[in-house]
Amino acid sequence: MLLKYLFAKNDEIPPGSATIFFGFSSIFWFVVGTGLGSFNAAKLAFPDWVTGTEMFAFGHMRQVHVLAVILGWISMAFGMTMMYMTPALGNTKLWSEKLGLWTVFLWNIGLSLGLLLLWLGFTSGREYNDLIWPIDLVVICGVLLPLGINVWMTIAHRKTQGIYITNWFFGACIFMVIVVFVVGQSPELFGLTGLTEAYLTFWFAHNVLGLWITPVAAAIAYYTIPKLTGNPLYSHRIAHLHFWAIIAFYSTPASHHLMSAPLPEWLKSFASVEGVLILIPAIAFVANILLTMKGKWSMFVENVETKFSITGVLLAIPLNMQGGFQQTRAINWYVHGTGWIVAHAHLALLGMSSFLEAAAVYFGLQQMLRRKLYSLTLANLHYWFFLVGFCIYWISMTIAGLIQGAGKIYEVPYIDVVVAEHPYMIARWVGGTMVFTGNVVWLYNMWMTAREGTLVPAGKYAHELAYER
Amino acid sequence: MGFKFDQPLYSLSDEQEQKEILALWESEKHGGLWEGNNRLPFPLTFLIALVILTAFMITMPIWGQRPTAQDFANHVKLMDSPEVQRLATPEEKMKYVANAAYQMADNRTKGNLERHPITWDDLLNIAPQIKEIQAGKGKYPLDNYTVLGDRIVLANFEGNMRPDGLRERKQPWWDIGFTIDVFYVSYFILTVFLIVKRLPHFSRKPDMSKAS
Repeated sequence: MLLKYLFAKNDEIPPGSATIFFGFSSIFWFVVGTGLGSFNAAKLAFPDWVTGTEMFAFGHMRQVHVLAVILGWISMAFGMTMMYMTPALGNTKLWSEKLGLWTVFLWNIGLSLGLLLLWLGFTSGREYNDLIWPIDLVVICGVLLPLGINVWMTIAHRKTQGIYITNWFFGACIFMVIVVFVVGQSPELFGLTGLTEAYLTFWFAHNVLGLWITPVAAAIAYYTIPKLTGNPLYSHRIAHLHFWAIIAFYSTPASHHLMSAPLPEWLKSFASVEGVLILIPAIAFVANILLTMKGKWSMFVENVETKFSITGVLLAIPLNMQGGFQQTRAINWYVHGTGWIVAHAHLALLGMSSFLEAAAVYFGLQQMLRRKLYSLTLANLHYWFFLVGFCIYWISMTIAGLIQGAGKIYEVPYIDVVVAEHPYMIARWVGGTMVFTGNVVWLYNMWMTAREGTLVPAGKYAHELAYER
Repeated sequence: MGFKFDQPLYSLSDEQEQKEILALWESEKHGGLWEGNNRLPFPLTFLIALVILTAFMITMPIWGQRPTAQDFANHVKLMDSPEVQRLATPEEKMKYVANAAYQMADNRTKGNLERHPITWDDLLNIAPQIKEIQAGKGKYPLDNYTVLGDRIVLANFEGNMRPDGLRERKQPWWDIGFTIDVFYVSYFILTVFLIVKRLPHFSRKPDMSKAS
């Protein structure tokens, strides 16, 4: 069906088609990404499992997992939400449904190719920016730029004078992530090495997280929570504070990832202060959303999309408390290079960000398919597998990180640290596998929703209907 | 779009402009959604002020400083003493030296020694390097050098200019990074203040019953 629409006239393509293809692609990549994560975690828990084949070595598989999640699940879920939220918030339709479909088509092709090359060992060797630059060029020109053009043009053709906060974030974040991807290629293109390469690597990694993964997830919550609860967003002025604080304080502290590197100390001092100030947008965001929930807290229990969304918002609190303080000199010397950081990264991507996106994908797919969710039981099963699995992962890796930190500081023999960590590596695998299992259930549930979900009458939202089964 | 400054904490827009903004606000919904005009609750304003203060206080280099060569000068002095020479194992020697040097240290150095314990092997390696600097072969005093495992390296700080044209490499309690932050945070607060105070005062709640 996708191929049929790729060559159809824009007006002949049913509205919402791009959203639906983006939505299912994102869930598919979430299953792949977490499946790879579970596989990799098993290799750390049971070192004798799948050995002898270079392609299945941890060093090959790890970055495939990371990029399948970032560029497959998270970014495609962003693409999906942009395809339906941007026009809805401008009281208009998507600028080009056809461009949206081409974007999702090229995205899947490019990502599959990129991950295959990465798996085969073609890599830039820089964390989070592992793809070789020709593939990054495809990401910029074939994915991010077309997505941006569609979003920017939809905003430009809106039928409202004002621009809702979600669309500020969407428009700005796509622009910023394109700049980040372009500048992030400079070490490879210009042969930069040493400290410059290290700095640019973490400038890229920090900004992909801070100017794309977390703020777009927050922007999604500004749509889903008022939409689901029927309440107005608590405050336009707090949204201003959130948006400008992200621009000011999230774009600057890249060098706090390199507190032990021989960068100029004044740069580290600057970045470290900015790193703590990341708490300002976090406070603004969490307060704005939780105050929007006023009088509707029962939905946190009763409504599955709200459950996912508010869980993501609540996880933003420990995420930013950790992120703000773990980068200071006083704490970083202990946790740097340990599993604590792995736990923190998963709190950002698998915790705060993924819960918010899952809510939006649940809501958006039902709206665009005009079908009510096939099974609420399966959705709740997904939620609890996701939450419990994530918590097991996060807590076990945090403890493992503290053990590693102690081992590092007190020069405990490495093998003793490995032995001490082993139970937590098993717990990590159990937690990750629970998340993966939940996602398989989710894919099945959404597939069945598309085929057999109860039709939603015009003018109604899916979550307003009672279940028939 | 005129600014007025007679009541800056109330609003920076004149009455007419506030009415126009509110009229626009009340005339449109965004896909059925709209935004309230509530203020940031006061406890959260206080929390943000606390965050800014904490950001400077907790990131001061004093809380995460690296050990300097000066911190281990007493270790080097003690390691050749007869009391240490009499001890049999490196562990015993290190324990004795560490305890004795800790007793001799001032409070700030004590904190550093607690956070950065050293092994006997590393001490054996850094001792000749410290003695060389003490003998005047380096251009800088001992506290301008950082201890990295078994090596002594010139610290990565850019302090005040010395009379001989070189920069001090001693860790300052305040550096140019904090100065940049003071300006950066000030500009941020000013910008957000200007943006937010251009909106109608938070006591004016938009009536969305007319919106389409």
